[in-house]
Amino acid sequence: MFNMGNKGLFTFLVTLFMLTAFASNAQEGESIFNSKCATCHAPHKDMTGPKLFEVRQKWEEGGAMEGSLYQWVKNWQVAAATDPYAKEVADWAPSAMTTFADLSNEQIDAIFNYVDEQPLPGAGGGESAAGGEMVASTNTQENDLGWIWYILGAVFLVVIFSVGGVKRQLQELDEDAGKEIKVGSKAWMFKNRKYIGMVGLVVVMAGVTWLLVGLNQVGVVTGYQPSQPIAFPHDKHAGINGIDCKYCHNSANKSKSAGIPTTNVCMNCHKQIQGEGDQVEKIKKIYKSAGFSPEGGGKYSGETENIVWNKVHQLPDHVYFNHSQHVEVGGIDCKQCHGDMTKQKELPRVVPVEELNKIEGNIQLTKATLTMGWCIECHGVKEVSSGPIEGKGGYYDEIHKRLLENDETLYEEYLEDGKVTVDELGGWECAKCHY
Amino acid sequence: MKKNIVAISKRTFVLTLGVFTLFSCVSDSDSPGLEFMPDMYRSPAIETYVDYGWVKEEINVEAMMTASAKHPPIHTIPYHGKVEDLSLYLPYHRKANSFAPVTHGLQEKHGWNLSTEAGGDYFIAAEDKNPIELTSDNEKDIFKKGKELFNINCAHCHGEKGDGKGPMVESGAYLGVPDFKNLKNLPDGQVFYSIYYGKGMMGAHAPLLNKKEIWTVVHHINKLRLDDYGAGSVQEEVVSDSSTVEEAN
Repeated sequence: MFNMGNKGLFTFLVTLFMLTAFASNAQEGESIFNSKCATCHAPHKDMTGPKLFEVRQKWEEGGAMEGSLYQWVKNWQVAAATDPYAKEVADWAPSAMTTFADLSNEQIDAIFNYVDEQPLPGAGGGESAAGGEMVASTNTQENDLGWIWYILGAVFLVVIFSVGGVKRQLQELDEDAGKEIKVGSKAWMFKNRKYIGMVGLVVVMAGVTWLLVGLNQVGVVTGYQPSQPIAFPHDKHAGINGIDCKYCHNSANKSKSAGIPTTNVCMNCHKQIQGEGDQVEKIKKIYKSAGFSPEGGGKYSGETENIVWNKVHQLPDHVYFNHSQHVEVGGIDCKQCHGDMTKQKELPRVVPVEELNKIEGNIQLTKATLTMGWCIECHGVKEVSSGPIEGKGGYYDEIHKRLLENDETLYEEYLEDGKVTVDELGGWECAKCHY
Repeated sequence: MKKNIVAISKRTFVLTLGVFTLFSCVSDSDSPGLEFMPDMYRSPAIETYVDYGWVKEEINVEAMMTASAKHPPIHTIPYHGKVEDLSLYLPYHRKANSFAPVTHGLQEKHGWNLSTEAGGDYFIAAEDKNPIELTSDNEKDIFKKGKELFNINCAHCHGEKGDGKGPMVESGAYLGVPDFKNLKNLPDGQVFYSIYYGKGMMGAHAPLLNKKEIWTVVHHINKLRLDDYGAGSVQEEVVSDSSTVEEAN
């Protein structure tokens, strides 16, 4: 009786222990997998390392020696030396796995238990397909807008021709009635000279206005938005994924040019992220350029190709603009001139000044973007003392010192309004930007 | 009847004018618009990202691909700065592992220093010490610069606290970023090696950061993963410093 009870209690305790152990086991497996394995392995996808789903069965079926999988995780080189199957696995990819000598067999089992619980990613496919449809429908909407113009044009043409037809018919009617009215254009114009004069005046005025407005647009590129080889979504990269502008445009604080990222910068993330739906084709263009094939854990062929991007912000050759001077020394945020790229869904473009003014923290300007007036206006307003020159302002300290030594009244004049702007330090000198 | 003709012809005229005005407003976003003197935009002085393949309406593919935005010449040192830092601009003496061309795309033709061994110099790199020494005078500036560089170049994956939970990981786009707290025993030299040549899924960051910047970032990473790192207790100093500055002002 006592024995039986003891046995029952024992079984109960063992089951309870196993259950709790399994629960904590799976949790432990998840945390170890995420911190140690997920860098190179995924449950259902080959990455740097092969997919791990049901890898224990796979090794067993492949004819691996018992326990050599655990040995592999702890130190793959030892396993490859003793087990021929492990040797085969070692040839799967040229990259060497990190050794995890501190993991126990139980912990390794916990990792594999966690991995085997992961469902196949099937639900994601439907979502991405829906996303693709949405994109397609917005595209056709844009096309519809284009068609409206053609339809409107056609309607106007029909109206014009029909009006002309009516006019001719009326004339014929008049002639048929036997009244000999010669609708000579000169006579007609003379008779209606008041109306003709007014219309003529309007036409001339419209023409002159159109010419002046047109001339003002020469060399001003507001709205320029060239199509690019890859329609890059800035809102996804800088917005949702919080990547700093200067990670990809990494010479913005070091050099004259902000830099278009080379595809090796793209590959730092896209080696893993292969995209869904319509993203796949775009990301394939990166792979082609980098000479990368994502199959079998990813291999570089070494045959690279340039992607030819279209330059958006064009400055004439006689203008010198330096990004590092503005970003590093002046402490200007990228959005002051480029707009808020974290929300830019379309291709990058020249942003009109009205939109730049709406962004919080921007200096309010009035002149059109990329005109000389725009630069000059900002140089007249931007305070140097509010920039981060403290601590790295050897150059500006020197200017202040020289001003004090040479002409103290001039320096006091500068400080009269309580601030030092860029123009007071020579930001309006011709040779600063023209050479 | 004549009045009708006048009225109709007037309307026709206005309509035609209107149609032309409307059509003239439809602009092409692929065209930068009129240029006053196109040759002022494309001059013989080579500028980055200007398409020199396009000259006088003829396209030269060779010039388009090679005339601007080039690699610096192989085995040259980009040097700008103080003489004391010169050694930091010399090439990195540790070699990348032999499979780096396949796994990380580091080709010898682009100037990468490759080893013939599968392990590369990763294990020897553990001996390397950080050449930027922390003193109680410079550590505030170094930590500030390191944090700035880390937030630009690393934080989107590794997180601002180095816990592996950056916005890329939080949004679900990228997986498998380690927590620096789990890598407390990793020597500085290997941290540098991994940033320079890349490791696992992470690509080589040598094209983005020079050696001086990487060593500065290593200081910041050490501050994130080790509890008391630095020459003095910097956190209290920063607080007292800023308050004294404010008082002085």
